[in-house]
Amino acid sequence: MELITNLAQGFMSLFTAGGETFMGWVTGIIPTVVCLMTAVNSIIKLVGTERVEAFAAKITKYAVLRYTLLPLMAVFFLGNPMCYTFGRFVDEKYKPAYYDAAVSFVHPITGLFPHANAGELFVYMGIATGLQQAGYDTGGLAIRYFIVGLIVILIRGLLTERIYLNMLGRNKA
Amino acid sequence: MYNTIKINTGDGGWGGPLTVTPTDKCHTVLSVTGGGIHPVAQKIADLSGGVAVDGWKTTLPDDEIMVAVVDCGGTARCGVYPKKGIFTVNLMPVGQSGPLAMYITPEIYVSAVKEKDIVVLGEAGTVATEAPKAAPVDKGPKTKEQAKEEIKAANEGKSQGIVVKIGKVVGEVVSKFFQAGRDTIEMVIKNILPFMAFTSTLLGIISASGLGNVIANTIAPLCGSLPGMLVICFVCSLPFLSPILGPGAVIAQVVGTLLGAQFATGAIPAQYALPALFAIDGQVGADFVPVGLSLGEAEPETIELGVPAVLFSRIVTGPLAVLIAFVFSIGLY
Repeated sequence: MELITNLAQGFMSLFTAGGETFMGWVTGIIPTVVCLMTAVNSIIKLVGTERVEAFAAKITKYAVLRYTLLPLMAVFFLGNPMCYTFGRFVDEKYKPAYYDAAVSFVHPITGLFPHANAGELFVYMGIATGLQQAGYDTGGLAIRYFIVGLIVILIRGLLTERIYLNMLGRNKA
Repeated sequence: MYNTIKINTGDGGWGGPLTVTPTDKCHTVLSVTGGGIHPVAQKIADLSGGVAVDGWKTTLPDDEIMVAVVDCGGTARCGVYPKKGIFTVNLMPVGQSGPLAMYITPEIYVSAVKEKDIVVLGEAGTVATEAPKAAPVDKGPKTKEQAKEEIKAANEGKSQGIVVKIGKVVGEVVSKFFQAGRDTIEMVIKNILPFMAFTSTLLGIISASGLGNVIANTIAPLCGSLPGMLVICFVCSLPFLSPILGPGAVIAQVVGTLLGAQFATGAIPAQYALPALFAIDGQVGADFVPVGLSLGEAEPETIELGVPAVLFSRIVTGPLAVLIAFVFSIGLY
């Protein structure tokens, strides 16, 4: 009898531990994320996508902006996955590189702006909540994640552009 | 010869059943299922008399795609094609979810489909059906111009007082805020909470069963050093692995949470947090290249070469990102 009781308790303890984690996330993460997302979503609605698109179309010819500001704006205003539609403003030969840059930014942005990719928050949140539990402040991490993200997408954009143009040249020859 | 076919909802699935009739122009089954033509896509093509095409190699103008077959876990792909007004068959048992959930309707989307769920109804023309091509467009919000014109028309002949004008502007702003709140809560319920439920259950089992210690002893040393992280990132970005690891960022998220638990206990020093974020994410979006490119209205030829270009570039830029992050984390903790 005791054995069965122990088994049952052991079994339940698996889910009690899970429940505690869940409660911690719901009370610790969701309230801030909800308010932040609501604020940013309102700004996006007030600005309107048309204005953003008009601006986006102008900056695609500069390589540096094409792989930094353009993906940043796309991910911020449209979120994942609609941000890739900004690829239509980019010259055909730069589209793979633009995609690479945009998709590589959908996680670095979540540290500061979770609204942009709320379905995939835990790439950042998972590590950040761990650090919080250990007593660290995560603000610095979020900002650095964002900045390094921008640098990385610029490099990815430029390199993927070179690789693609190279493959294209060889294909034609 | 074309046949009208019926695609039934699979076991545990959602939406449908869809009745699809091929035409001369629109008879292609696009298989966007991680490379190759999935048997379900092939079956749809065989029974209807259409052609199955590998969405990884080629893409088509939207109006030539009769059905898109996807294996989406619920983030992006399952909503992309319904948004375009294309019949979508999801192999996974996923309902209305993801950022594009509003476009996923039972009239255009069916999930958990197996080969046995596809049946022939009759020869094309004997069954009257209408493609829902235009329907989703109508549901979209009014453009600003339309809205402005409507207001203008409604106000024709009325002189507006300044109070009314201010009132209107305030009302407009408030309604936008309210809609933003509604969007946010929907996002939390549809995407964030389900993921939290799944991960916390997993995490609870891992930590309470003692598996956590095993992971701490095996993964922590790997992630607690720069070379270890470079290796992880390199492996994740190998072109034949990255498309498998990518979908929905589920793996990156679960690994991120597991690592978080290690950071919490101090098993991995905090200064490795920033490089770790990039180490676990070398495969980001590798599963989504053809779809992402077609969203950007890329030509089929661009997609053909673009997919390998992105995947190969990652082998270099993945570990490079870890290195940059490592340098930038100096002085953080």
